[in-house]
Order: sequence, then structure tokens, then C-alpha cells
Amino acid sequence: MINFTINNQPVTAAKGETILQAARKAGFYIPTMCYLEKTMPCASCRLCVVEVNTTDGLILSCQTPPTQGLEVTLESERLQLERTNIMRMYDVNHPLECGVCDKSGACDLQNKTLEFNIDSQHFTAKEQPRKIEHWGLINYDPSLCILCEKCVHVCNEIIGDDAITLQFGGYKSAVIPKNSEKLDCTFCGECIAVCPVGALVSSDFQYKANSWELSPVPATCAHCSAGCSLTYEVKHTSIATGDAERIYRVTNNFEYATLCGAGRFGFDYDVQAQKDTALFDKAVSALRNAKAIRFSSMITNEEALILQRLKETLGLKLFNEEARAYQSFMQAYGSISGKATFGGTLDAIAQSDAIIILGGRITTDNPGVRYAMTTAARHNGAKIIYMHPLEDALMQNTVTQFVKYEAGSEEGVMAMLAKTLLADADLSDEFRAFFNELDEGYLCAESNVGDEEFARIEKSLRRAKRKILVIGSDVLNHDCAQNIARLAALVETYTDFSLVVIPQNVNTVGVSLVCDLDCDENIAGVVGYNARGDFVMGSFVESDLVLPALNSQEGTFVSMNYQLLPTNVAIRFEGYCLNDLANAVGLRMANTIDYTAQLPMAKGFNGTAFDHLGNFYGSLGEDNRGYQLEVSDVEVNGTVASVNALPEFNGTVIYRCNPVNQFNSYTARTTQLERDSALHGSAQFAAAARISDGDTVEIQSNGSVEVRTFFLDSNLKGTIALSPTFDTEFGVMNESYRFEKIKIMRVGS
Amino acid sequence: MSKVYFSTWRGEQINNIGKPEEQWEVSAYNLPADYNEHAHSKAFIGWDGLALFNPDVDVVRLATEYAAQYQVYSEACGRCAPGRWGGRILYDLLDKIARGEGAISDMEHLKEVSKTMQETSKCEIGKTVPTPLLDLMHHFEAEFMACINEQKASKHYHMQDTNYIAKITAPCMDACPAHVDIPAYIEGVRDLRFDDSLMATRQTMPLAHTCGRVCPHPCETECRRTNLDEPISIMELKRLGADYETDHGFGFFHPTEQKPLNGKKVAVIGSGPAGLTGAYYLALDGVEVDVYEELPVLGGEVAVGVPEYRMPIDRYNQDIEAVRDLGVKFITNTRVSADMMRQFETDYDAILVATGTRISKKVYCENERADIQGYWGAIDFLDKVNLEVKYGIMVPEADQKQHMLDKDYVDLTGKTVVCVGGGFTSMDVVRCSIRANAKKVVMIYRRDEKTIINNTTYEEYHEAVEEGVEFIFHSAVAEMRDENNVLKSLLIDMFELVPDPNGGRPTLEKIEGASFEMECDYLIPAVSQSADLKLIPEEWEIERTSWGTIKTNGKDYMTSRKGIFAAGDCEYGPMTIVNAVGQAKRASSVMSRYVNDGQITLLDDEIMEDHLRKLKVYDKKEKVTGWLPGLPREHSEVLTVDERKYNNKEVKYGFTQEQAISEAERCMRCYYIAMVAH
Repeated sequence: MINFTINNQPVTAAKGETILQAARKAGFYIPTMCYLEKTMPCASCRLCVVEVNTTDGLILSCQTPPTQGLEVTLESERLQLERTNIMRMYDVNHPLECGVCDKSGACDLQNKTLEFNIDSQHFTAKEQPRKIEHWGLINYDPSLCILCEKCVHVCNEIIGDDAITLQFGGYKSAVIPKNSEKLDCTFCGECIAVCPVGALVSSDFQYKANSWELSPVPATCAHCSAGCSLTYEVKHTSIATGDAERIYRVTNNFEYATLCGAGRFGFDYDVQAQKDTALFDKAVSALRNAKAIRFSSMITNEEALILQRLKETLGLKLFNEEARAYQSFMQAYGSISGKATFGGTLDAIAQSDAIIILGGRITTDNPGVRYAMTTAARHNGAKIIYMHPLEDALMQNTVTQFVKYEAGSEEGVMAMLAKTLLADADLSDEFRAFFNELDEGYLCAESNVGDEEFARIEKSLRRAKRKILVIGSDVLNHDCAQNIARLAALVETYTDFSLVVIPQNVNTVGVSLVCDLDCDENIAGVVGYNARGDFVMGSFVESDLVLPALNSQEGTFVSMNYQLLPTNVAIRFEGYCLNDLANAVGLRMANTIDYTAQLPMAKGFNGTAFDHLGNFYGSLGEDNRGYQLEVSDVEVNGTVASVNALPEFNGTVIYRCNPVNQFNSYTARTTQLERDSALHGSAQFAAAARISDGDTVEIQSNGSVEVRTFFLDSNLKGTIALSPTFDTEFGVMNESYRFEKIKIMRVGS
Repeated sequence: MSKVYFSTWRGEQINNIGKPEEQWEVSAYNLPADYNEHAHSKAFIGWDGLALFNPDVDVVRLATEYAAQYQVYSEACGRCAPGRWGGRILYDLLDKIARGEGAISDMEHLKEVSKTMQETSKCEIGKTVPTPLLDLMHHFEAEFMACINEQKASKHYHMQDTNYIAKITAPCMDACPAHVDIPAYIEGVRDLRFDDSLMATRQTMPLAHTCGRVCPHPCETECRRTNLDEPISIMELKRLGADYETDHGFGFFHPTEQKPLNGKKVAVIGSGPAGLTGAYYLALDGVEVDVYEELPVLGGEVAVGVPEYRMPIDRYNQDIEAVRDLGVKFITNTRVSADMMRQFETDYDAILVATGTRISKKVYCENERADIQGYWGAIDFLDKVNLEVKYGIMVPEADQKQHMLDKDYVDLTGKTVVCVGGGFTSMDVVRCSIRANAKKVVMIYRRDEKTIINNTTYEEYHEAVEEGVEFIFHSAVAEMRDENNVLKSLLIDMFELVPDPNGGRPTLEKIEGASFEMECDYLIPAVSQSADLKLIPEEWEIERTSWGTIKTNGKDYMTSRKGIFAAGDCEYGPMTIVNAVGQAKRASSVMSRYVNDGQITLLDDEIMEDHLRKLKVYDKKEKVTGWLPGLPREHSEVLTVDERKYNNKEVKYGFTQEQAISEAERCMRCYYIAMVAH
């Protein structure tokens, strides 16, 4: 701890903290235009200068740590003059288009111009012509840009796209795409979020509304298990204009949280319905006669609890193979670790200096994990070892070692990895014997991962202090998932690694905690809730009974961090909801959210009522969203089974994997997100399948047939092609193992 | 000392206005009064003031041009608000006054903007550009006011009679023999843009892995941060960009796009740092390059001289691969002879000789004979060690016999090794001897501990001591004693420093009676090395220096024979890697023009580079403000003695990311802009 003073008041700073950070924590105000808490200081605006007693000049507080006993002064005539002059320079030739600018009313430049009382243009410089850029979902106006560099920093340091850079040109400087003519990125839109002025804006939102006309609805993103915080912004409607209620845009607390493109641009997936009693009665009778309910994890905890109560009341079975796979993985994990919950979190990934990822396509499965990894790679120089059958070009600038294994060999690879990581661990004889008896020759040969790769892993971890093992969702549906879970649990229990498992959907974890799931027997008499069934209800227009989508619901999710997260209604839904149906068949609860307080305490929920849940970040980044579930202890009774013969995946194989910003049928029906439905494969795949770029192909797998266009992707290698699922009937991905042998035929071009 | 008409450089106040020329007071600084052999300078203006060399300088135009040059510079930057807008305002207002449209309020605004730039700019360049402008406006106010009051252009405003040549520098860049853009690569680390960092380094220094590890970093001696607390750990920060490229398996981040082949061919003799550097920049310029290497392996002394524990070969190979990536052809196992050189002269458009200094000099003691077994030159000793450690090339039988080895690698178990030296090579010898399991390792050095640290580095010396090397200071070998041509012992003389009663340099004098005999198995002379120039055809009559290296003018690196260039140790004598890189970079620039037009020319940038080095950019007396003093320099973790003593693991871990960032944040970006009007 460093003790110093600010304006004669004692302040302390932790090691590595800057004067600005310490000042803000202590409640002092220092003006900034370019500072972003989650990135390195841009140091471009120079407004945060302060005076100190140990040197004559002005010190930049955003990048300077204090020294012991330092006396800092935040206000003086000199500082006021210099800061005012900087603002005068910022205002030189800034276009006076506040009347139509998207940022007006929420603009840092406007605010600071007022704060420093700049009422006229003090300095002059030559005007210059500037061209507005249209980059798809993003528009850029260089004449409004103040070159704070926040966008450039966040794109490189947090997102990892590193897609924009500053074109150095002094007065002519501008933000430009890096190494390409047009912006080539994953369109997360975080650059729009951090832009303090109206330079980077959403092309969809531009000129649609003033910021002060929009009402914020704090919610949780429904697209993946990261559970990112977001705010839906809706506008008042009136009967006079006849405007339907709609979401205008999504914003996020970019100082402390990050959002991907699906969260930011994929918000208009709501459905609407009116109350139709005839349909309702049909649904009630379908439920009464049902043998089972099949459902997806795109539901709230409260709905999950309703389904569980229906099971108990009506004697139904509950089918959800995706959540059941996660549930049994975690049970197997607990049987070794003695804990119901793994020890790592997204935040722990971001703080780590070594990450091993096994079995998942992180960049598209879960952008939250990707951003945490990027943060670790840039800020901590983390060693990142990515183990997967397919390389991912988006991860090249974060991954330090790519280990390619044969599809299906995850169990063998995990066993070898565990052996490497547990080499010096104090294991019981039983576990040690397991590793000693591993047939390494066979496993290395069949998985195609050599000894030297494990040796390199061991070497690159040598200096690491904060290590994370990430298990991706491929593994959850593997035939030997439970043994893999137990091996991962061994690693977490007997080494300094923390484990993170990536479930697929927004509430896979919640469902796994709340519902007692049955094995899907493919029987008749099933009611589907956002899933196939003899009677289908849910948030699809073609459903037999339309129920509200997640942006029209209040309730909670449990994120992959085991954090309970509230979400709220952005668009009012006029029809029935699941609770109405449940009440009609015998349950009794006024509102869906009355179930929040009843979520099972035995699983770590704490009984807090919905209306008492927070959903915001504090001014210093404190996470006040919902609450963290208690970690419960479970019985340790597991043992590791010997490794099965590794399955072979020869010939043409597909990997179920969605393109960037697509996750499911909800993202699929939003208007702004690109819908790339093509089968992506390498030249080698094309040769093996005898197809070429642009062909229409028929893919036969496991009894189903899909027709897709084939796209020859130069970023890919090998004989595994990427086939999306977001555009399938219910858009589900993790009902079975993600690699599949297929037959493929050209049916047209 | 320079003859000036007027000077405010570094605070001096020389005003010869109105005085007859023979009474002019001279400046204390090496100002560039003559731009080159063809042109006298009219004025010099820079971060610390200005100097006028004759009375007929249009000072208003001079100020405008300096501001314009800053505009050009800031177009390569523009990364802070005061620098970006302030620089533009300065230029617009000065130009307005110079063309006769100024107002008195413009003078006020100029001062106001200058003040804000001086106080708040991000780099020193933004802070210092206003300095000479304010000087001009103060000392020559009348000329500015004349333009404003009479609304007329300044006296030379419409004339094209003067060239204005500007150059960006920094104290560290000036001190670096390769003039690496150090603030830029440090900024790349600070911004976590490691690709940018590496490309900044590679503009003038292709060996980023190498010079991030084994550079003696003269830049740190002239780091301006020293005036505040401690110098930045400049060298180690270079590793981050290089490691980023390697760790993520990117191709190679070259500083510029490679030009298409222009049909010209150059032969480079030697694949050490100088050869690699020359090849790299020639290839970038579109020249086809063949590099000839005598040894079976590439890399010269860094490969076979510098030990693995200081410079892991896999990292050095990355630097070499970056050169190969540009299409450079390497021909190994080929010792170039005079006949081949004669042939090369017709086959190639130019030749760069970069053969280093590979002959170990004698220690000059009694009975010093190469045929005594146990007498083993440092260069050959290190060759044998490194070829085995790094490449698995074993010691041939004949050599095993000659050097009394009972294995096919250098194993000194039970042996006593005495090395005579005091520089990097001798440190490598003693530390390699420890790793070869010698019983006792002794360094004989004529001077004291302080000097050995100056000649090498503090870390190098202390690590050697920790590993068990015994240093005997103020000593020298007087005699080798052998039995049947096998070394048995040495006679060591001891010396002391005797002050000169007349106040001159103290002299080393032998202490009578203090000499002693030391038993040993090996004497390894590592005093210095000389160049082996047998490849130069005698009839070429290439001029040599008095110390037996190839002579050039140290600016364009052409030898006395047209088209034959030389760089690195074979030109300078045994020196540092970065010196070789700097020379070869310059040579390659000259050569890439020469092969096209047959002319030997220097770029303005290179002329200015040499002027600034003479003037010296770093001012150790300067008082630094605007940065918080007392932030300590980071030190990277080092393997413990036990972890490193008997193996070849790299001794230094390098910075953790946290350390690197905190070190990079200490950099003050001391860019300056200097301009000559001629």
C-alpha cells in the first residue's frame, strides 16, 4: 500500500494502482476524455493532469502510480487554464451538428465543453474535408472523432479483433480499419459503446432517436451462457402515432462489462400474440395429457421451476438433453472434487496468466470467454493453449500453442493432459496407478497429439501463477463426458488450476440446478416448449401457442459463473405466459417472478425475492447484479474409469458450429445480424466430398437431411467442415456430440 | 565549438548581431555549421534552442518551417490533443504572420498554445517544439511585428532559396548505434500492440530477439529518465514484440512491404549480425542477396560465440528466419577465398564484407606458443562448445586430441581453466567452463572490478561470480610453463594503480615480489580478436586501419575499392552486435542506391543522424519536469545459481507482462525534432 495525499487528504493506493484510480476510489473527481477503466490508459486527452510536490511540471494521473508520501493537488488556476485550453482545442472545428447527432445529450465532449465553460471558438485552424465511412453495422464520421483511441484499445485489448487502428496524420488523423480496406471484424460494436462522441455509431440506430427519449431496461443477454449485462433502450409509444413498442438499441456499461455483436445488435427477437382462449385451452389439455415436456434452456429459472413443479404435480417427465449432459458432467465432476460448482469464473480467466482450453469453439460459442482470454493474453501475457480438432483463425493473436487432436479423442487427450499437469501432484495410489497404466503410445497415436506437445505445455506453464482449465461444450456431449469430468476434477483438486466449464445456453446452468431431468426417450405425447413435440408452445410465431420471448420476460438466469442474474421486460407481451398455463393445471402463483424466492436453496439459491435483486454495476465497477450462488458440498465417491478405445472419425465429418454472432433461432430472426448458413469447409474437405465452392449440397447425418450451400473457406484445414445450427428448426446445438460423420452429396450449384 | 551569429542552444546566449565577424563569440556546442561538403548551414533549430550561422536568415520563415516540420512529424503521430491541434494552430498562425496577414492577437494565441503544449503534450516533441519558436518570437520580435504591422510577407517568404531538413531523434535513439526507434517500440508495449512494437524495432534492427537479450544497451546510458530516477530497461522491452510474433506463429512482421526484385545482386560475406542486417535491408529494397558463411551454421558469433544460456538458439534462429523470409539465399560451409572474391566482383553488383574478427589475439607472455596443449583461443573454444550445445555438432577427433578432451564434446571435469580477458567474450568463456564442469575457473584481468562491469554489464559480472568464477583483478599472465608441450602452470604478475603526481591518468605498475605460480590445464586468451582478411585479393589494395581492419569513412562504409563495402567487426574491430547492425544498416542503405545508380550518397536523414550524434542529443545536466520521480526500474527474474549453473537454460526469464507494462509506462517519449536550414 502506498500512502499519499490528494488535496491534503490522506489516500492509499494498492500496488499497480494509478493516481487517477486511487483518486476515484477515494471520491475525488479528475476530468478525462480518453480514459477507459478496462484498457491501458490511452493517455491522449491530457485532461487528467495534476500537480505534485516532487516535480515542477504537470503529471498525467491516468498512467502514473503515486509514490510514498506524494502530495497531489487536483485543482489550481494553472490546471484549470491548461485543461480549459485542451477543451478549447477539442472544440476547434468540431461540427455543430449536435441537433441531429446520436450522441447529443450523452456526449462527453458536450459535457466537458459545458464544464469548462467554452462558449466560443478560441483558437482557429484550417477546416478540412472528411469523408464519412460506412462499415456495415457501424458508421464512422472522422470530423466528429476526437481521437481518444478508446475504440482502438478496446478492440485490441479486450475483444481481440485488433481490427482498427489510428491512421497517424496529426490534425488529419482518423480511425481506420487495420490491414484492410473495409472493416473486417466480428462486429461486436464495442467501439460504438466506448466512443465518447458521435463518431462511431450504429448504422441502424443513427438518426432514429435522441438519447433522452429512450428508457433504459436493465437486463441480461439471452444468447449464451456468459450472461452479459445489457440495457435495452425503448422509446415511449403513443396511440396517436400507432408505433409498435420496440427496442431501439442495446447499450452496455462499457467501463466494466463487454458485449458481443449478438448481444448488441441481435435484440429484436421478440414475438407478439393476443390472448386467445381457445388456443389456451388446447394448450392446457395438451399439458394435462402429456407424458413429458421437452424444453430448451432458453428459459428463466422461474419457468424452469414451474416445469419442475408440473413434473411433480402432473407426473410428467422433463426432457432437455443439452442441460442433462451438463448436469451429469457436473455430477461426475462433484464426485471427485466434492463441490457442486467448479472454481473458475470469467473474471478468473481474465486475471489468469495461463489458460488451457479443451473442446470448444470459443470465439463463437461464448464471446464472453473469448474476451476474458484476450484480456489475459494482452494484459497478463497469458500462455494460451488451445486444444481442438480445428484451428480458429480468430484466436491466432491470443493462442500461444494450438494442439490439434482427432475428433472424438477428447477422453484420451484429457487423460494425457491430466497426467502432464498432475505429474508432481500428491495423488492417491489409485489415481497414480490410473496414470501409470495409461497406454500413452496408443493414446498419442490415436489422438495424434505427441509427447512433445505435452512437454511444451508443461514448459509454457512453468512460470504461470494463475492457471485456468477451460472445458468447452464439445466435451459435454461426448460419450465419455463423465470420465473427462472426473479427470478435470482431479486437475482442479490436486493442482493450482481452476476449472471453467462452458455450457451452451443462457440458462443451461439454471435448468441443471432447478430441474430433475429425464433421459429423452423420444416417446409420443410430448409437449415442446421451444422444442419439438406433439404440441409446441414457445416464442416462435409458428408455435401452437405463442409464449413470450426472453426480452419480454422478467425472471432470472444462472450464468456460467453460477451467478443469478435478473432480466426484465423490454417489450410488453399481450398473450399468455407459462405461469398462466401452470395455474390452469393446478399450480398457484400470481406472477412468474414469485417463483424467484422459491428457487432451491439446496442448490445454492438464497431465497431473495426478484424485486430485491440488483441489476447494475457500481461506480467503481462493483458487480451488483443478482447474487452469487452458494457453493454446496457433495459426496466424494467417484473414481476414474480406464480410457475407452478412442472412436474414429474418418471420411467427411462436420462440426456443429455457428458463425460469429449467431447462436440460436432467436439470433437467427433478428434483422441486423448476418446470417451465414453455408457449410464451411477446406479445400481438403471439398476434395474428399467431391464438391466445390458454391455448390448446393445435401448433408445426411443420423437420420436427418440438411441442404446447404458449400463455402470454400481458406482459413480452414483438414477434413472437418463447419455446419451451423442456428438456422435449424429450434436452433439447438448441444443435444449430441458436435462432431458427426456425414454423407454429403452435391445437388446443385 | 562552432562559429555562430546567434545562439540560444542549451541555454547559451550568444548574440553577435552587429559585431564584425572576426569578433564573433563562438558556441560551445558541435552545431552543424556545415551541412555537408557542398553546403554551409544557415540555421539550426531544435528542441533546446536555435543557432543562426549568418545574418541573412528569415527568422519568421524559419519559425514557420519548423512548425511545418512538426506538422509533418505529427502526421506520423498526432496521438495527443495538445500535440495534434496545438501543432496545427502553431503552424497556421505562424504562416499567417509570415505571409503578411497576421494580427497582434495571433502572437498572443501562439504564446498561449505554446504554453499548453509545453505543459501537457504527450511526447517531449510536443513539449519542446514551442521552445525555439518562443525564443525567435522573443529575440526577433521586431521582425514578426514588422510582418504584422505592415501586413507584408517575411523577407524570404516567396523565395525558394533555402532547404529545410528536419530529423526526429531522441536521446536513446541517438545513442543506439542502430538508431532504433526506441520510444515507438516501447509505446507498442505500453499500448499492448506488440506487432507495432516489433515493426518499429525492425525499421532499423532486424535482430529483435537477439538485441532484446544480449545488447550492451548504450541507449540506457543516455536514457533521459536517468535524470529523474533510473534509466528505462530499454533492451528487455524489445523482447515482447519478438516473442509475440514467435509465440503466436505469425509469419514475420516486416517494417515495410518488400519491394519487387529490381534485378540487382549483392553478395554478403558472413552471416553474423552485420551480414544478416545488410542482407535484410537490401532484400527489403528488392535486391537479390546471397550470403556466404564459412561455418556449417548461420549467425556468426551470436551463434557460435554467445552461449545458449544468454542467447537461446531457437530465438536467434527466428531472427535469421525473418531474413530468409525475404528470399535471402544462405550458402553455408563456404569459406570465401580471394579467387571467389574476384569472381564475385563480376557476378554481383556489390559486395558487403562482414566477416567479423575471428582470430583470438595473444596475451603476450613468455613462452606463448600455439602448439602447447592447453592453450586454446577463446573463439575456437566457444565454437566447439556452442556447436555441440546448440546444434549437436560434436568435436572432431583431431581437435579432441589437440585440446586433451576425452569425450566428443567439451567436458572440463577436474580441469582448471584460466581465461585472460575482461570483455563479453571472456565472460562467455568462464561461464561456459563452469557449465562444462571445470574444477576451477579463474579470470585474469589487468584492471579493476568497476572497469569489468563497464566493459560488460553488472548482471553478467555478478552472475559469473555467483556461479563460482574466481576473478583476479590487476593481474596478468607473465609466462606459460609447460612439460613436453603440455601446459602445467602460469606465472601471474600482480599490478597496482599508481597515481600520476602530475595529475595525469594513473598508471598500472607491477608489484615486485607479488608474482605467483598457478597450476592450470587450460589458458584461454580472450583479450581481443583481430580480423582475418585473407579473402581480400591483395591486388585490390584495400586500405586497412592501423588495427588491421578494413578502412571506410564510417559514414557510407565503402572501402577504398568501389563497390566493395565492409561493416561490423571486420571494419570497426571487435565491438558490439548493435554496432555491427548499425553499420550494416547504413551500408545497406548506401549500397541499395549504389547498385542502381553507381553513386555513393547519404540520405538527408543519415546526414542529420551523423550531425546529431556529433552534437549529442542526451544532456545529462538537464532538469526533467512533468514526470513523477521515484518510480523504480523493473528487474526481470533470473534463474537461481543452482537452477542454471550446470545447464544451458536461459538465465533470464525476461519481464512478466506486468513488469513490462510498468516499465514501458516509465518511458517519457523524449522525441525531439531538429532542423537545419541550408
